[in-house]
Amino acid sequence: MREFYVRKSSFLHSLDPRVKIVGTLLGILTLMFFNDPRFLFPVFFLILIAGRILGGIEVRRQLSLLKPLLVIVAFTLFFWPLIYSPWYMGLIFGVSFSLRLLSFGLLTFLLLMTTRQRELILGFVRLGLPYELGLTLTIALRYIPTLYSLAQTIMDAQRSRGLELDRGKPLVRLKKMTAVLIPLIVASLKTAHELSIALESRAFGYGKRRTFLRDIEMSRKDYAALAVIVATFLIAVYLRYSLGLGHVAIYRASS
Amino acid sequence: MIVVEGLHFSYDGREILRGVDLTFGGEILALVGPNGSGKTTLAKHLNGLLKPVRGRVLVDGMDTRRHTVAELSRKVGYVFQNPEHMFFEETVFDEVAFGPKNLGIRGEELEERVRWALQAVGLEGFEERTPYSLSGGEKQRLAIACVLAMKPKYLILDEPTSGLDGKAEKSVVRTIRTLREEGHGVLLITHDMDLVLELAERVVLLFNGRELFEGSVEEFFELELEEYSLELPELLELAKGLGAGFVRSVEELMEVLG
Ligand SMILES: Nc1ncnc2c1ncn2[C@@H]1O[C@H](COP(=O)(O)OP(=O)(O)OP(=O)(O)O)[C@@H](O)[C@H]1O
Ligand SMILES: [Mg+2]
Repeated sequence: MREFYVRKSSFLHSLDPRVKIVGTLLGILTLMFFNDPRFLFPVFFLILIAGRILGGIEVRRQLSLLKPLLVIVAFTLFFWPLIYSPWYMGLIFGVSFSLRLLSFGLLTFLLLMTTRQRELILGFVRLGLPYELGLTLTIALRYIPTLYSLAQTIMDAQRSRGLELDRGKPLVRLKKMTAVLIPLIVASLKTAHELSIALESRAFGYGKRRTFLRDIEMSRKDYAALAVIVATFLIAVYLRYSLGLGHVAIYRASS
Repeated sequence: MIVVEGLHFSYDGREILRGVDLTFGGEILALVGPNGSGKTTLAKHLNGLLKPVRGRVLVDGMDTRRHTVAELSRKVGYVFQNPEHMFFEETVFDEVAFGPKNLGIRGEELEERVRWALQAVGLEGFEERTPYSLSGGEKQRLAIACVLAMKPKYLILDEPTSGLDGKAEKSVVRTIRTLREEGHGVLLITHDMDLVLELAERVVLLFNGRELFEGSVEEFFELELEEYSLELPELLELAKGLGAGFVRSVEELMEVLG
């Protein structure tokens, strides 16, 4: 995994970046309303299928990007039942949190896999974000795969020195992680520094107004897609707040 | 002896190694090939970081699929391309001690190993320095020392001289020679043909995930190297121009020319 963007010509690829950004944000917002796993499960699969059909991204490829998140999922599923009472409520909460996290991941990755970097920046800027912020956001998103393979390399290097990350008590393991985290932080800071030099040397931040070589324009298709997204969002709000669906009350029995 | 048999490996469905066979004992073996030809991928199989999809890798008879990286690290040391990727301790001493400690070595033996490894790479007196404060060449040698202190029989060095100046490179070369004399097998991954000419006893050329050539240094330099994005060392160009045939050093060339 070197880069998220997948060169293809699908419906999602051709969509205006603004529509995709708004869609992702509304999607994430919608997911926050619901916590019932019976609702979240189908949604997760719906996103997968949409990514396959509308974005042309193989299901396996979408799932493989979620792998790093599985650490958090495992952690959640393990700890919520322990600290919640009754325990099965904790489990429901853990499952619900995990499904939401994975769906967030899917949506965000789908945006990144179907949108070029410069379109993404342009999208953020045309939505009203300052250029610097749009660029920062985009670089941050793009940096994830780099960081991921860097962490992989560092782990390989330390494993070659006899480090066994998956052995020992939790506290011991945490201490072992420093052998990975310190080189990772050092290398990241170095990259950030190099990046800032690269930006400065191209006179970034010199002119007040920016012009773009290629601008974007909403087509009829984009408006239609936006309408569908907004309608879906409104339906979700209606289902949740007027009909009270898709939400289970979670409370501590004893506090 | 490390034996690689019919090794196949793919990343994300893309085949990177397509049937590699290799044996490697106590010599200095140069592994060369253009960028992306699969050298690092092959090397990662030798200490179990990657496990073969098809074929197998035996390290002194141990199948890498049935042993952990930690177990194999007693036999095979791997010095990564970028030494900074492994430094995290406050002092050079602690950094070198990390590997042997993971193998369960403590006390006097640990001290002894650290001193020995630092001496082997010419870094005695650096014990209390911070790894990140060292120069490029010193970092590279420290990385070698970190792995050496685990006393592996075989050592993999992934581009140990890239980015080093002449002096630093010479000290790495000297270190490799010393290791060889002390009975270590060294697998040297490099793009530097001068280094191959100077050090190697055998050469393996990897191209598109296949082993295109395996043989002596002299035979290797008879290949059409440009086809593999490699260059003939200047010394050999010169020797060729002078009609002197294959030589390995300036001194040898002078001798041949009388
Ligand atoms: N973690 C990975 N995921 C996916 N593909 C990878 C990964 N690591 C390497 N590759 C790919 O495998 C191929 C071989 O890579 P490898 O690092 O083994 O080449 P190399 O011969 O060491 O090259 P170099 O001379 O540049 O170091 C390359 O095409 C590379 O892009
Ligand atoms: Mg390499």
